Amino acid sequence: MTAVQKRVVINKLALAFSTLSALIALGFLFWILGVLVMKGVSALNWNIFIFEGAPPGYAESGLKHALVGQAILIGMATAIGVPLGILAGTYLSEYGKNSKLAHTIRDISDIMMSAPSIVIGAFVYAVVVMPMGHFSAWAGAIALGIIMIPIILRTTDDMLQLVPGELREAAFALGAPKYKVILSVVYRGAKAGILTGVLLGIARVGGETAPLLFTSFNDNFFTTNLNEAMPSLTVTIFNYATSPYEDWQQLGWAAAFILSMFILGLNILGRLILLAGKKRK
Amino acid sequence: MASIIDIKEECALHVRNFEFTYKGTEAPSLKKITMPIAKHSITALIGPSGCGKTTLLRSFNRMHDLYPGNTYAGEIEFEGRNILGSKEDLIHLRTKIGMIFQKPTAFPMSIFDNVAYGLRLQGLKNKTELNDRVEKALKDAAIWKEVGERLKHDANGLSGGQQQRLCIARAIAVEPEVLLFDEPTSALDPISTQGIERLIIELKERVSIIIVTHNMQQAARVSDYTGFMYLGELIELGETEKLFVTPKEKLTQEYITGKFG
Repeated sequence: MTAVQKRVVINKLALAFSTLSALIALGFLFWILGVLVMKGVSALNWNIFIFEGAPPGYAESGLKHALVGQAILIGMATAIGVPLGILAGTYLSEYGKNSKLAHTIRDISDIMMSAPSIVIGAFVYAVVVMPMGHFSAWAGAIALGIIMIPIILRTTDDMLQLVPGELREAAFALGAPKYKVILSVVYRGAKAGILTGVLLGIARVGGETAPLLFTSFNDNFFTTNLNEAMPSLTVTIFNYATSPYEDWQQLGWAAAFILSMFILGLNILGRLILLAGKKRK
Repeated sequence: MASIIDIKEECALHVRNFEFTYKGTEAPSLKKITMPIAKHSITALIGPSGCGKTTLLRSFNRMHDLYPGNTYAGEIEFEGRNILGSKEDLIHLRTKIGMIFQKPTAFPMSIFDNVAYGLRLQGLKNKTELNDRVEKALKDAAIWKEVGERLKHDANGLSGGQQQRLCIARAIAVEPEVLLFDEPTSALDPISTQGIERLIIELKERVSIIIVTHNMQQAARVSDYTGFMYLGELIELGETEKLFVTPKEKLTQEYITGKFG
């Protein structure tokens, strides 16, 4: 075998192995999605949206409590995380720039992004749940909001920095004060990117379970009281799926399916917005 | 040593012993520059890359203040005061001294909103007046015929030359006294360049113009006065025709005949 033939064989082997590895990795993904769709779709019915949780064996049981609870928790977390994340990102890109403080914030934010979410849950348990004396939707939303901040902060910072400096200068040259330059020109230029960051941030916290276990905890019944424990899809999935009751397990699959579709949808939407924004330029 | 002509007509700006130093550098990038800028005429600044012509241009509307740490010395007189003073209202100054950049800088908004941007900043809210002023600015910038029917469209959909004229419309809408052009045609094709040059000549009826250009032919075509800069100094300022035909300084002579630069 000549040296060239040998290299051709090695090349083909490497290609074959890496292709196979990619297929195996993707295979698991589609396996998960496949099982989820099969078990989840068959468990779907209108009762899920009409009834709240019930003891095992009751026909009139559903996920209304968890769906509404999840929506409340995500909504509140968004209200906490999005403004803080966008404003902090704006500070980094437009005011702090390359200052020491800005770099420190960026570093800490990156560390926060990879912090285990259960640690953030424990933190909120210590500073919110313990003093209040009980679990609450507030605590859950604060935990999710904190997890959201570094994601949105980073994308906002990155996206604002992509807006060309000439555009800012042109606005300044027309006599615009700095806050107007940011509000009317810089934000507009980075609109698609920031929106994508927000959607990905929501998608990220939408699947969190651990930080909710000791903040908003869970409840099998419908509630909109923010000072009480609040049901969520994720914790409900955990409770129902690990229960020995067939009908609860079915509801667990349905909840898993709905949650996955929600997060998948957010991710796809985020990417579409980014693509549309790129095409315009 | 520099040869600066004494301008008899009224002047829009007077630069006296002006020095500018960038943050973190010892030596000033502009050294002892003294020059008058005639009113309602076009003054071109030429010179090799790095000679300081853009730095000088950006001093007139104090763009350097956007990046802290830069320092000015000397005087730039405008409307009877030294605009380098620390109490100078930069927002007001920039409405009086507008700027057009090298690359077109259309904002990510509609054509109408682009031109109305400066007017709205000045607090103009009346819709009829806003419409009139935008239309007038677009007509003055010779772009009304192309965009009059689609004012609501995204300004980024326009061609480079159209965007540059839109930027000129945006700058003249607020009726400045002085317009600064920083190589306004270097990103454009020859036809668009011609359009912009014609427009600049028309505009001097109403504003005083300073234009930085890499292109000596452009300076010769459009300007009334030309300043030649080299290594941060103004070597010569003269009437354009005289400067290009019979320069007084040896350096100017060498530059315009292509011996360096």
